[in-house]
Amino acid sequence: MATTKKSDAILRQQQSEVEAMFTSLGEGALSTDEFGRITRVNPAAQYMLGFNESELIGAWFPKKVRALTFDEVPVNLIDRPITKAFLTGKPITEKMYYLRKDGQKLPVSINVSPIILDNKPLGAVEVFRDITLEQEVDRMKSEFISLASHQLRTPLSAIKTYTHMLFDGYMGDLNDAQKNSLNTIIGAANRMNELISTLLNITRMESGTIAVTPKVTRLDTIAEEVVKELTLMATGKSIKLSLSSRPKTGIKLTTDPLIVKEILTNLVSNGIKYTPEKGEVSIKLRSRQDNVVVEVYDSGWGIPKYSQDQIFSKFFRAHNIVKRETTGTGLGLYLVKGLVDALGGRIWFTSEEGKGTSFFVTLPHKVKSSARVKKLV
Amino acid sequence: MARILVVEDDHDLNKAYSIILRHEGHEVVEAFDGKEALKKLKNFEPDLILLDLLMPIMGGLEFLQESQLPKKHKGTKVLIFTNMENSPEVAAAYKLGAHRCIIKSWTAPHNLARVVADTLHAKDSAGSLKAPA
Repeated sequence: MATTKKSDAILRQQQSEVEAMFTSLGEGALSTDEFGRITRVNPAAQYMLGFNESELIGAWFPKKVRALTFDEVPVNLIDRPITKAFLTGKPITEKMYYLRKDGQKLPVSINVSPIILDNKPLGAVEVFRDITLEQEVDRMKSEFISLASHQLRTPLSAIKTYTHMLFDGYMGDLNDAQKNSLNTIIGAANRMNELISTLLNITRMESGTIAVTPKVTRLDTIAEEVVKELTLMATGKSIKLSLSSRPKTGIKLTTDPLIVKEILTNLVSNGIKYTPEKGEVSIKLRSRQDNVVVEVYDSGWGIPKYSQDQIFSKFFRAHNIVKRETTGTGLGLYLVKGLVDALGGRIWFTSEEGKGTSFFVTLPHKVKSSARVKKLV
Repeated sequence: MARILVVEDDHDLNKAYSIILRHEGHEVVEAFDGKEALKKLKNFEPDLILLDLLMPIMGGLEFLQESQLPKKHKGTKVLIFTNMENSPEVAAAYKLGAHRCIIKSWTAPHNLARVVADTLHAKDSAGSLKAPA
């Protein structure tokens, strides 16, 4: 009898602790039964959603609090984090809008955990956080980088244009030493330009404003241009750079030629950069029924096995490369992956350390314009 | 040789483009914002407009909207010359009638002359990200 009383007291104490924790949480928290009906809701959740406790308790959560994706598409019941937690029996983390009682959209980061006892789901606990401020900071960061990059580029354009004008003899003839010095300035300005380009593109990619402008495009012509532009870089390391296309009559597709060129330039220049002297870099284009495949092969240092799952991450540089090549930023492949996604394609690779790497990109025959561009015009 | 309207707010760049294009034998008129370009259009019918997008007073997009080039100046080609690659502004410029777009900081003078010649002779509106430096 005494043991039962003690157990009851411990249980009541634990319940009070849970209750206090639930109430004092700064984040919105609620629990549901196994059908998704709200059984408990804390003050922060009531404040964030604009409903009072009596309106929420007993209500079916997915219906009472509607959700939208960040593209403002309603989230289906099956895609709601709470449903996923019930179905998988695992904790789920996602971000979306919740619609408040007054109809306002509230961006939230959601964590849901199912409550499981003896392998049976009893309900779920959901905690959500208002991420309005985070989104605003992110937007301001993107805006700042974009503006700063444009401002950096204006004087850079003048530096490059006038240096080239001097080099090309618009202001009179130059001797070889003067031409060599101007070449050094042009090379440095080009490197600065590359960096600004990458930063700008990443900012657009991360803020979802990269513009896709589809045109009927010859993929083989773009690849030829890329080869022409990078031949100097390849011959500097005695690397054999080749291009083959099937069918030989050329590959037509409707896509954004500027973005395709950016992708190819990045992959091929990476291939040259990370291949030792007298190696080989090849581009193969193939048109298939469903899509177009681009393969960029290099006989270079390769990507170590343990690094392969991080290769498309921001700022990532493989250990075997950092020792040999110090100028990279670790942004190139992160950007390429984002650009391929923007064109509705896929990218993957095979690599063996010391033997080489092949990157494969598939692109659809026809890409859609990006929705955000339509809104602008 | 062609008649070209250069619309660029940066005085150094505007001067450079004019020198390069005159060197190629083109007739060049300069404007430093979209509003000034609209005024120049009243007395000058260009074969090509070299147009910057980000400018004070009136930017390139607003100029394209106001000038209604495809309707009122059918024979005029528009070459966007900007530093805003892959941007929604460039996509918008195409929709408003621009023919090509090149990136300023990537383009060497001899390539500017070549791209201008290509655009003047081109029948389609194919774009190119960056002329080789």
